[in-house]
Amino acid sequence: MAPDRIFNLGFDLATTVSILALVSLGLAVIFGMRGVINLAHGEFIMLGAFATLTGTRSGLNTWLAMALAAAAVGLFGIVVERLLIRHLYRRLADTMLATWGLSLIMVQAVENRYGSVTEGIPVPIGNFTVGEFSMSKYNFVLIAAAAAGVVATYTIMRRTRYGLLARATTQSATMAEGLGVNTSVVNMWTFGLGSVLAGAAGALLAPVVGVIPTMGQTFVARAFMTVIVGGPSFVAGTVSASGLLGFIENVGTNWFTPVIGQAMLLMAAIVVLRFLPQGLTGTRLRR
Amino acid sequence: MRDLLSRVAGSGAHPASGSARRDVSGAVLAFAAAAVLGNWVEEFTAFEWSLWAVQAILALSLTLVWGYGGIFSLGQAAIYGIGGYTYGFWAINLVDNTGESITAVLAAVAVGTAFAALLGYFMFYGNVTDVYVAIITLATSLVLFAFVNSTSGTAYRIGDAPFGGYNGMTRIPRITWRLPGGESHELTRTQFFLFCVAAGLLMAVAIRVLSRRPFGRIAVALQHNELRTVLLGYDVRWHKLAVFTIGGAVASFAGALFAAWGRFMSPTVFSLTPAALVVIWVLVGGRSSVSGAFVGVLVVKGFSSWFGGASGDNEPIVLGVILVLIVLLLPGGIVANISRLRHWRRGRASPSRDPAADAEQVSVEETDRHPVVADPADLQRRARLIATEAVTKRYGGLAAVDAVSLEFPRGVSCLIGPNGAGKSTLLDLLSGRRRPTAGAVTLDGEDLTKREPFLRARGGVGIKLQVASIYEALSVRENLWLACYAMPRDIDEANRRAASLLEWLDLRDEAERTAGTLSHGKKQWLEIGMVVSTNPSVVLLDEPTAGMTREETARTASLVRELGESASVIVVEHDMDFVRQLDAPITVLHMGSLFTQGTFDELSKDDRVIDIYLGAHNGNGGPDDGRGSAPSKHHDGRGSAPGKHHDGRGSAPGKHHDGRGSAPGKPVEASGGRTDGTIANGPSADADA
Repeated sequence: MAPDRIFNLGFDLATTVSILALVSLGLAVIFGMRGVINLAHGEFIMLGAFATLTGTRSGLNTWLAMALAAAAVGLFGIVVERLLIRHLYRRLADTMLATWGLSLIMVQAVENRYGSVTEGIPVPIGNFTVGEFSMSKYNFVLIAAAAAGVVATYTIMRRTRYGLLARATTQSATMAEGLGVNTSVVNMWTFGLGSVLAGAAGALLAPVVGVIPTMGQTFVARAFMTVIVGGPSFVAGTVSASGLLGFIENVGTNWFTPVIGQAMLLMAAIVVLRFLPQGLTGTRLRR
Repeated sequence: MRDLLSRVAGSGAHPASGSARRDVSGAVLAFAAAAVLGNWVEEFTAFEWSLWAVQAILALSLTLVWGYGGIFSLGQAAIYGIGGYTYGFWAINLVDNTGESITAVLAAVAVGTAFAALLGYFMFYGNVTDVYVAIITLATSLVLFAFVNSTSGTAYRIGDAPFGGYNGMTRIPRITWRLPGGESHELTRTQFFLFCVAAGLLMAVAIRVLSRRPFGRIAVALQHNELRTVLLGYDVRWHKLAVFTIGGAVASFAGALFAAWGRFMSPTVFSLTPAALVVIWVLVGGRSSVSGAFVGVLVVKGFSSWFGGASGDNEPIVLGVILVLIVLLLPGGIVANISRLRHWRRGRASPSRDPAADAEQVSVEETDRHPVVADPADLQRRARLIATEAVTKRYGGLAAVDAVSLEFPRGVSCLIGPNGAGKSTLLDLLSGRRRPTAGAVTLDGEDLTKREPFLRARGGVGIKLQVASIYEALSVRENLWLACYAMPRDIDEANRRAASLLEWLDLRDEAERTAGTLSHGKKQWLEIGMVVSTNPSVVLLDEPTAGMTREETARTASLVRELGESASVIVVEHDMDFVRQLDAPITVLHMGSLFTQGTFDELSKDDRVIDIYLGAHNGNGGPDDGRGSAPSKHHDGRGSAPGKHHDGRGSAPGKHHDGRGSAPGKPVEASGGRTDGTIANGPSADADA
């Protein structure tokens, strides 16, 4: 195989894996830290994309609009946590149902506001060529952003005061409270962090996917599978599961169609869970 | 919730055949009413109503799977969609050739069922749990959505039937039937309506009947305490798979009817909104209420057309708000809450009976009544030799159990050791809850190491867990019934044995009480009773007397000795009085390894044993168990180590579990939160004696 072909395939694979990591990381933080599945995660991504769209339409620089969009979704997440999620910790099925209700409301509300036509924002940077293949420079941004997101999350969890308190709350909320930690506030920030990551994913994907109110649906299935295949240790889990599932999806997409790629991802995930029900990083836990 | 449960589980020992008759007559009446109405109203109106019946059948599938089976499936709408598309393919290809589409309905059910079975196999045999099931089923629907959406174009077709991609599949024939050699008839609109109503009622009755059968009771049981269900010897994975598969059959049947009703299938059936809709119907109607499925569909439809705007555009918002409000305000569902309100008012009218009030005043008067094995046949059990061969369990770098080789012959054996010695882990390795890192577990020489826990239970290994694991939401009688049914699999036999066990365990007066309201000691006693009633040849008891009163402890001791005559009984205990009463060979574990073995008297003279219990601090105040234990002959210092544990337990049942998580392998002193003060200040009756 020609070197340019190999580079093209590798670059494509890295992009798929990065997108998977981007859309999963926010969900993984919330699930890993609080054991809550945010079924509105896809809609948080969608909100990030629409916020970016609104920003660029009102004349903001694309990158600035993206940053503001991520912050806005984080703020929205904090509001949702205070009003809704806060009451439902430890009621796993109920949290899923409530966030599901939220997702239905969000899709319809955005559709009422923006209509159901596909919107787009221009890709901020151009293409480059290797041999016969022309590739988008923007994919470098996606790859770098995914790496930065993973590193940032890891650093926040391991190196900051909040991270320590959040991990303590995850281990034993009762004990953390006994030591004087306001776990309710910690939980709020955790949900906010997950929301920022979801918003950032939406913002970064806005130039490369169609921005429509139902776009969340196209990502959540993959994000869910990545998170549960990743397992409890969520940073390592997200990276390893994105790598594995992204590879499989990429192969399916290149050989067949994107839909078959998705179907293969799902089947691979189900097979993995059949044999590792705790996910890829679950074997280190006590069973 | 509780009244629903008791309805679901039936009235314990007497499977209510009378209420089955009531269900059937109710269904017949409902059908008669539908027949009158359906012929009275416009044909078109009846046809509109058919959709309600079809959707109610879909809702019923989730009632079965989620309400009765406890499986939180978000994929019922997807299986419904599969049923609809399959009906479409078959009917389009068949109806011109064979003149009927009944085969297509059957094919739809077959395909939907097979799909559910396959998906269920991967989920349940992989021991994937609650949320994961929800996520996998939802993700599966979304992938199907993407797939069917992408199937536009002539390449995607089966026979004469194109998939249609995002435009959907059109011109699906209605339900048509033909007798062999006869003419073919398409169901009229009114006939179709009555067909759907009849099918819906039939399934409702079937689910009610099923829920009263052992199958349904086991489904409810595993929903409440999966671990106990496994340890009683039920194959939980198979049960979940069966429930999910039946649910898939019901959903795909509804899908076939839907395709025949609308003559159209759209890929949106696989999207999020329909999936949510099914859940909302069931939530509104009440998760485990069969009639709630019918009510839920109606109520939700009313709401969304009332608030959703003329064109129904805002339906998702209405649905979303309903979901959020139900979760926040009415977790039991509307119908269930109404019936609870009714019960509450009825309850106030009748003289109140507070189950908690008579909770504490039981048991004491029966002190000397030693339980006898009721069934002489039980004594014929052949004790079996359970053994471990260099069995090891590691967690990371820590060896919780380290190369332990032990044999437990018939009779009672005790296993003692300080917290973290590996006692409970060893029992878990024997019962199969955990798999060893190395080594083997054998039963009469047969290798059990890789056998599933439920198979070990069927093979005669029964375990009582450290923290009592019973069905807290079910009645005492139902708890025992489930244990009695596990082995003979015979309803009458189980009824009979549950009744005699209630007598024997002296729980007659508490038979109909919710097990969760029993005292700590009674729960332990009940769990022991459940284990014994599976007729085990190996009985593992992890701290059986924690939280028991002195009388209960004495009763347990005599029960254990009696069991030891016919079975191998392994007892893990901290209560040294109890251990002494058992008068059995004792094995001491320390830091995961075999420390020493001997009789109570030998060990109580062994300074090393005292050291591992006490750590560096030797010779604290005398033992006090706060229960004035009668047979107290230990000398000062020697008995004090075990006595300490004992002490913490007697004064605050269950408290001693607290220190559990701390540094395994460390001596008690270092890990427990108990102060020396309590011990020193306690009345040292034993020491003085």
